[in-house]
Amino acid sequence: MLLPLLLTYAGFTALCLSMPRHHDELLGHKPSARRRQSLALSGWLLLGFSLWAAVTSNGWSFGLVDWFAVLMLSALALVLLLPYRPRFALALAGVSLLASPVAAWAQC
Amino acid sequence: MKEGFRQAMAWLHTWAGLLFGWLLFAIFLTGTLAYFKDEISHWMQPEIPARSVSAETSLTLAQDYLQQHAAGASRWLIDLPDAREPGLTVRWQQAPAKPGERGRFESKTLDAQTGAEVQGRDSMGGEFFYRFHFQLQMPYPWGRWLSTIAAMVMFVALITGIITHKKIFKDFFTFRPRKGQRSWLDGHNAVGVLVLPFHLMITYSSLVIFMSMVMPASIVASYGSDVRTFYDEVFPASKTPERANIEAPLAAMAPLLSKASEQWSGGHTARLSVSNPGDANATVVLSRAGDRVVHDFGRAVTFNGVTGQMLGSTPEQPLAMAVGGAFYGLHMGHFAGPVLRWLYFICGLAGTAMIGTGLVIWLGKRQLKHAKSGVMPFELRLVEVLNIASMAGLVSAVAVFFLANRLLPVNLAGRADWEVNAFFMAWGLSVLHAMVRPGRKAWVEQLVLGAALFVAVPLINALTTPWNLGVALLQRDWALAGFDLACLATGFFLAWAAWTMQRAGNTVSVKKPHREKAQPIILEQGTN
Repeated sequence: MLLPLLLTYAGFTALCLSMPRHHDELLGHKPSARRRQSLALSGWLLLGFSLWAAVTSNGWSFGLVDWFAVLMLSALALVLLLPYRPRFALALAGVSLLASPVAAWAQC
Repeated sequence: MKEGFRQAMAWLHTWAGLLFGWLLFAIFLTGTLAYFKDEISHWMQPEIPARSVSAETSLTLAQDYLQQHAAGASRWLIDLPDAREPGLTVRWQQAPAKPGERGRFESKTLDAQTGAEVQGRDSMGGEFFYRFHFQLQMPYPWGRWLSTIAAMVMFVALITGIITHKKIFKDFFTFRPRKGQRSWLDGHNAVGVLVLPFHLMITYSSLVIFMSMVMPASIVASYGSDVRTFYDEVFPASKTPERANIEAPLAAMAPLLSKASEQWSGGHTARLSVSNPGDANATVVLSRAGDRVVHDFGRAVTFNGVTGQMLGSTPEQPLAMAVGGAFYGLHMGHFAGPVLRWLYFICGLAGTAMIGTGLVIWLGKRQLKHAKSGVMPFELRLVEVLNIASMAGLVSAVAVFFLANRLLPVNLAGRADWEVNAFFMAWGLSVLHAMVRPGRKAWVEQLVLGAALFVAVPLINALTTPWNLGVALLQRDWALAGFDLACLATGFFLAWAAWTMQRAGNTVSVKKPHREKAQPIILEQGTN
């Protein structure tokens, strides 16, 4: 369940950054249109990829349940972290992205 | 037109949420605790040791025990221990029950490793929370009816809440703390929207589970008054064979476990039911554990008890039942391993928090109007008292329930009932306390009390039993250790909540009650 968790967290962070208000709050400036689009696209891709990761590791029935669980948990964690520890929330997304190939390798 | 509709939905959300909010808070909190039902029971009956032995070993011990103590019985039931439930339970019935009646069973719990009888202290354990969350401690069928209505209201509140929420996607990642009423609404929206799949699943599935009780029309239309036939057809109970009255020794049952597992592509057996042990017509029915997401109702394999030959196996359930089974399985989460179980628990807490924040928002909005005069109308005061007692009071009552388990004498008559009585007495006292103390003071005092009670749980446990935190950790009994740690964590959380609330009261004159303080027992999974 680790790989889907890392991917959903990174995915939600990217989606969050694709919104100008949050981008401004977290990074101090509004994103360009192109940057917004690429962040949104990569966010959705990461979420889609996490579904694939959950289903391949645990089959459809358990995998879907796992996926929904990590989806809710990572979104909740991100939203609760953002106002209190914004830097840490972003750093965590970076670490998640970096760690995901390792987790993928461990899962295979 | 569109705004009118949205306003109507907001009205419905507000009032449905208020009227059933207190009840739903209790249902969600106890239901969340019920995800750790077995672990709570283990902590509340620590005399039954957790063992890591194979199912075959325990089954052989159970068979030996029953052959010595219940050789002539008409029926044996054996519940095998698993990772979460340590006890090996054997039950037997001397004479066959009359048709349509439940026979009387003798019941004993055995040590899964030695086969010796163990006597756990008399306690309902986690079963209390599980039962309370849909029966509400009311006589049958009123509690079930009330919780069914509450589930419907919850569903209505969810749907109207989604319609009322104008900017689900725009505000998806928004939470602004320390802004009073604004923060409460943000929090309410965040736990509502982010955990929405869980809320919808849990509420809808509860309606599916209650369906046969609430809407029997479809059954009555096809089966008339003979509702029994419906259940017999849906759940084909294995028929009890006639006694041959020829003595024949029962075969060893342990090898049947792997044969059944083959039938279920690796599934485990939870219970064995032996009819006519010691007779030539003995049969053994192995029922499958709930280890799948789609719950299999009554999945079983039948063997001849003398030869060990397979007699039959229930077929794959039809699609309609599989859909029902999926909702049942998802709601109960029996299949969940340690990590997923924790996630279930967190989702349940989020649901509890959503209801709690909603109640606080309702009151906060209306209190603002009366802030200047300082006099609160009766109905607002009533809501305030109920808010305090239903949230802070309930959490304290849960701690009292655990403490009663350790402090009541072990051989007290009706001990299990006294634990439950202690729970309700504590809850009742919290109502009285909330009535006599002013709002914010009552909140702070009850939160402090809850914090003290929860921190006391592991201490009292260490003083009154040999199963303290250190021993549990050394023995790697993660359920016991996790329970103590979770109580400590809950205690600190409640203390923090009380402190925040006190501080907010000193700086702001307008009352805004503190954030939901649900987070109760958190239990570690027994993986051993």
